[in-house]
This record gives sequence, C-alpha cells and structure tokens, in this order.
Amino acid sequence: MTLEIVIVGVIVGFAGGWLLRRWIAAARRRKNGGCAGGCGCSSKIQPKK
Amino acid sequence: MSAPEAQLTVALVGNPNTGKSTLFNALTGLRQRVGNYPGVTVARKSGLCDCGDGTKVELVDLPGLYSLSAASPDEQVVIDALGGHLAGDRRPDAVVVVVDATNLLRNLFLASQLSELDLPVVLVLNQADVAAEQGLRIDGELLSRRLGGVPVVLTSAWKGEGIAAVRRALAEALRRRVRMPAVDWPALVAEALADIAAAVQADTGRAPTRADVERLLFDSTTSVGQRLGWAAPGRDAAVRAARDKVRRAGYNPLAAEPLIHYERLRRLLDGVVQGGGDRSAGSAAVDRVLLHRVLGPVVFAAIMLGMFASVFWLAKFPMQALAAGADWLKAVIAPSLDAMPMLQSLVTDGLIGGVGAFLSFLPQILILFLFVSILEDSGYMARAAFIMDRLFSWCGLNGKSFVPMLSGFACAIPGLLSTRTIEDPKARLATAFAVPFMSCSARFPIYALMCAAFIGPLYGPGWESVVMVGMHCVGLLFAVPTAFVLTRLVLKVKPQPFVLELPRYQMPKPRDVLWRMWQNAAEFVSKAGTVIFAITIVVWALSYFPRDVSVAERIKAANPAAAEEVVKAKVQAAYVEQSYMGRFGKAVQPLFDPCGFDWKITVGVLASFPAREVIVSTLGVTYSVGEGAKADSAHLQQAMRDAKWSEGPRAGTPIFSLAAVLALMVFFALCSQCGPTVATLAQETGGWKWAAISFVYMTALAWIVAAVVYQVVIRLA
Repeated sequence: MTLEIVIVGVIVGFAGGWLLRRWIAAARRRKNGGCAGGCGCSSKIQPKK
Repeated sequence: MSAPEAQLTVALVGNPNTGKSTLFNALTGLRQRVGNYPGVTVARKSGLCDCGDGTKVELVDLPGLYSLSAASPDEQVVIDALGGHLAGDRRPDAVVVVVDATNLLRNLFLASQLSELDLPVVLVLNQADVAAEQGLRIDGELLSRRLGGVPVVLTSAWKGEGIAAVRRALAEALRRRVRMPAVDWPALVAEALADIAAAVQADTGRAPTRADVERLLFDSTTSVGQRLGWAAPGRDAAVRAARDKVRRAGYNPLAAEPLIHYERLRRLLDGVVQGGGDRSAGSAAVDRVLLHRVLGPVVFAAIMLGMFASVFWLAKFPMQALAAGADWLKAVIAPSLDAMPMLQSLVTDGLIGGVGAFLSFLPQILILFLFVSILEDSGYMARAAFIMDRLFSWCGLNGKSFVPMLSGFACAIPGLLSTRTIEDPKARLATAFAVPFMSCSARFPIYALMCAAFIGPLYGPGWESVVMVGMHCVGLLFAVPTAFVLTRLVLKVKPQPFVLELPRYQMPKPRDVLWRMWQNAAEFVSKAGTVIFAITIVVWALSYFPRDVSVAERIKAANPAAAEEVVKAKVQAAYVEQSYMGRFGKAVQPLFDPCGFDWKITVGVLASFPAREVIVSTLGVTYSVGEGAKADSAHLQQAMRDAKWSEGPRAGTPIFSLAAVLALMVFFALCSQCGPTVATLAQETGGWKWAAISFVYMTALAWIVAAVVYQVVIRLA
C-alpha cells in the first residue's frame, strides 16, 4: 500500500464518515422535534403537551 | 441565540409590519430578516439587550399577531410564550409592545388585550417619523398618564431614533413594574367572567388566570380549556351560561371583546392624536399602477424578467474572474502532484472541478439576493403576494397560502414553516404540498449552467433570462392544478378571506440589504465548503475506482496510429465507464433514457436526491474526469457541449441537445430532491404519509414531464 493510497483513503473515508454522521445527527434532531436542518434557522418552539 | 448572562426575559410583541424586527435588531445588535410575510418570525429569535443601567435582558422577538385570539399555530406560539406555557421557556418578566404610530387605534387593540396578562409593559410607538410626515401629532406623555404610567416611547427604528429611550423605558418598567390598567368590563360581562373563573376552579381545582378566563369566554376556538384540563360537558354548559349573560348586556359574545376594547381605546386616544390628512396618498398612487388588475401582473412579470437578465449580465465578469482564479489554482497545484496521479485527480478533477463549478455561481446568487432584498425591503413583495392572490383564489389557495409559496422561492423549508400562519389545517396541508414546487435557490445553479452553456450560445443572451423566468414558473404551473385537485376534490377546503397589510413603500436600507447578501453568500460558501465538498470527494471516489490499468494498454494496442492525446482521452473515458459510478449510472440509465439523460446525467440526478445543488459539482466531476480536468463552469460547459452519445441509435449526436437540456431543467424544477424539505413536510403535517405522497408524486411528475418535453422537442427540433 503506497502513501498515496493511504492519503486518498483517509480523505475519502473522512468525507464519507462525516456525511454519514451528519445525516444521523439530523435524523436524531428531527426525532426530537427540532428543525430538519438546511435552512439556517434555529430550533423551533415546541408547545408543551 | 441564547443569552446566558441575562436573568430577565422580555417579550417583543406587536402587529405584523410595525417594524418589530427592525427594533429587535436595533436593541440587540443582531440582524434579522425584515419582511411583510406573516411567517417571517416563526422561529424563536432572541438576543441580549442592554437597558443602559447595567441591566441586561434576554429580548425575545415573537411572531407578529393582531390579537390574542389564536387562529394559526404561530399565533398560538405567541400566546403560549406570553403565558409561560412553552417547554423550555419561562414567562417573560415584561413585554415591549410595538405599535404603528400611523395607525394607533387599530394597533393598540393588541396592547389593550395584553393588559389581561398582568405583565409590566413598555409601549413603543414606532414609525413616529412617518406619522410626523403625515401631519400626525402624538402626545406620548398624555397617553402614558392615561395608561397609568406605562412608559410610552416614540421611535423610528428604521432610522435608529428613540432606541436609547426604549432601553431606559425598559429599565424603568422592570424597576417600577407598571402594568396596563385592566379593561373596565360592563357589569354583566364582568359577572360572566367571574362565573367562568368559579366554574374552572370548581371543576379542576385550579385558579385560572384572568387571561385564560377571557379566552374561554370570548374565543370559540381556544385551547385554554384543554390546557387547564377542563372537560367538555361541564365546560360547555358553564361557557354557554356565561355567554348568555354577555348577550343580556347587549353584546354578541364573540364580538364583545373588540367592541369593548375599542370603546376604551377611543376614550384613551381622545386628544392624544391630532392632525393628519391622507396618510397614504403617495403609496396609494403607486399602488393604483402596481396593483392594477392588468398592469399589476405585467409590471410583476417585467420586474422578474429584468431581475434575471441583470443577474446574468452583472454576474458575467465576476464569474470569469472566478474561473481564471480556479484555473490558476489548478495550474499551481497539479504539477506538484505529478508523482501521485490519484491524489492529483482527487484535487484537480474532484475538488477544484466539483466545488469550483459550484462556487462559480456565487456572483449570481449574490446578485439575485441583492434584488430580492431590495424588492422585499421596499415593500413590493407584499404587493406581489396581493397580485398572485387573484391568480390563486380560483384554486382554493388565497394570498395567505401564497406567502409561504413566495418564501419557497428562496428555500422550501422556511416556506413550509410559515404555513403555520394559515388557520385552516386543510388549507395549510394543501399549501405545504404546493410549497416544494416553488423554484428554490438551490435549483438556480442548474438552470444557470444550462442557460449559459446552451440557451445563450444557441439563441442569444436575451433568451437566457426568458428561459430562467420560465423555469421559475414551471413549478408554479404545476403547483396550481395540484392545489386545485387537493383543495377542491381531496381535502375540500372551504374558501377563506385573505387579509394582508400592505406596508408603505420605503427606500431599502443599504446596510440591511448588504447584510442579507452577506448571510446568503456565507451560507452558500459554507455549503460549498462542507456538504458539497464532502459529497464531491465521495462522488470522485466512486467515479475513479476501481481502476484497471490494463485498460490503458489494451486501448493503446488497439489504436497504434492514434495521436497521444486521442489515446489519453479514450483511456480516461474508459476509466470512468468502468468505475462504480459508471457501472451504476449505466445500470440505471435506461430508466431515464426516455428523458434523454445519458449515464453521466443519470448519476448527477441520482446523486442530487439528498440535495439538488449537488448536480453541478457531480457534473463537474463526471465531465472533468477524463476531459482534461478544467475547474470552472466555463470549462464544464465546453465539456458538456462536446459530449456525444457513444452508442445506440443516437451515436455521434450531442447528449445535451435542446430537448435534453429542457428536459433536465424541467426535471429539476419538479422533482422532490431535498432531504430536509421532505423531513420538514413530515414534521409540519404530523407524519410521513403526506411527505411520502409528495415525494412520490413530485418525482413521478418530474419524470413524466421531462420525458414528454424530451420526446416532443426532439421531434420538433
């Protein structure tokens, strides 16, 4: 395995992992009643049940 | 934003279009979007406000509302926030009520109602400069005396006048805790209120607040009973008996509250406001043209056309500069990575090619938001909503539904959130279903790329803006019949009146306009540097691996006489075709063949389902890998123009024919390609059912219309 493959592997792995982590976090946020994300807004007010 | 240093919370309330958000910005030093749309402040906005005497308070900007009788979800948010009924929010320590100084009687109704909350109040008469221009003389001191010493401040938040006085008044209100005097209800009405309070206490064991009792008596749709746990049979009987008493006092129970408040306000304002003539003569004269039944839509279309033409024309030179910058960057980086061809491809083909292509649209985005900000801040956007109300009323959606749809032209998510301003749940659902059809700014780069690469060179620069406006109308054209079917046949929505306050025309404030441009640019660049950056790397990897080097030897052996450049290009093309992305794209491509999409476009379309703007960077990667790896939109455009079908009946013909270009744009105009939008739709409709229906419907519609466009245009052309 060359240094080049290691560098590219780390970059691609990091990018893929970051995207996956971001989507999981967004799903958790939505589950908790927060904003779906992507619009730059803050979390919405949730009325008391 | 939270304000951990603040011990006290102050709510900022007022009617829409009173300059509340501008005052909030002035008091907190934050910037917030200023517009006429009722949903503009649905999100919780707060900031730290220094009262000038060392006291720091958390100022919360609540959505605009006309009364405490909640009809829509965002009005309910305000009422819940003021009553301290929101999770995670405590009851405010004081309220700053912002009223329009040019229309005190109508605006003070809310302030008068707020007296029932029993909170210290500061009354801010904003737009005092406009009132003075209209010849109105307002005696703030007299009004303050009549309100029992409640601080009254005249301001012009737009000009930054009176802000220090508001800070002082807030400190004074918190210190002295001066409340608005309660309404002096007629005897029988007061008796009815007392009866309800007693009944609630007897049935639930809880003493209701004055505000709760008044909502129970005067509002037919209030949720206070539910919150207090006051059950239906006993509650209905008690409320009915109390309302009978109100009738005996000579009032309709559901109209008694405004009548009594306005009687009180007329007495309060007697002598407080003097002078004034025709307060809106200037605006009315302009509106006679801009809101004219025929001229209004013509002017609206002309403004939109002019706006898009200017976007193309003005952005041309900065885009060329960005392209030159990207080329320079590539020329500097590429030679240093000659020893590592894989890493070189990742940096030049992937990052500079993909992210560079996306970033090259920054000038167009900036200029677009410059115009949108000017139109919003000048007061024209509210007129646009009014014009569109006429168009939409026949399909069961009124102007109030169109306001979220207008927001959807920037981004579907705030558009969906602002549907909370619509009272009728069925109308809200129909509107939420229509909002994702609006051509959001994420669709802009693909339209701009196609127009610049094909429409402009083929038909002249004027057609670029025509096609651009057309593409922004495509979503609208399909949203209207969709809404018609939903409102008339599926949901059976009852027609509703539309009330929209038209703000006065004003010169947009350069600082606010530039701030809005900056915010959008920052969001665009941040997206390019994060999500687009990461997706581009993944797309590059999928289009690079696996790489069987024996392919190169076979191609060289099969083309012994071919020039080195030709062989190199053939090798690169073969590499991409054998990659994971190539294999996947080729496997799925037959599905999109009726739309005229080759496998590279198919890959772009599929990669864009989480976020549609990914298409440009994906095309940047798939068309630059093996094409000499140029980094910017201009080179991507050339690569796309040169692309030809390699096999099948269309072999040798351009992939990006006019038919394919139009089909691709129409597909992106109609397809549901935004993960956060689908999730927000699910959140706002209370489940995944309507979100799933919307996704399937929009995607199927996009495919069908794109196929029809391709098949018709390819035959005509």
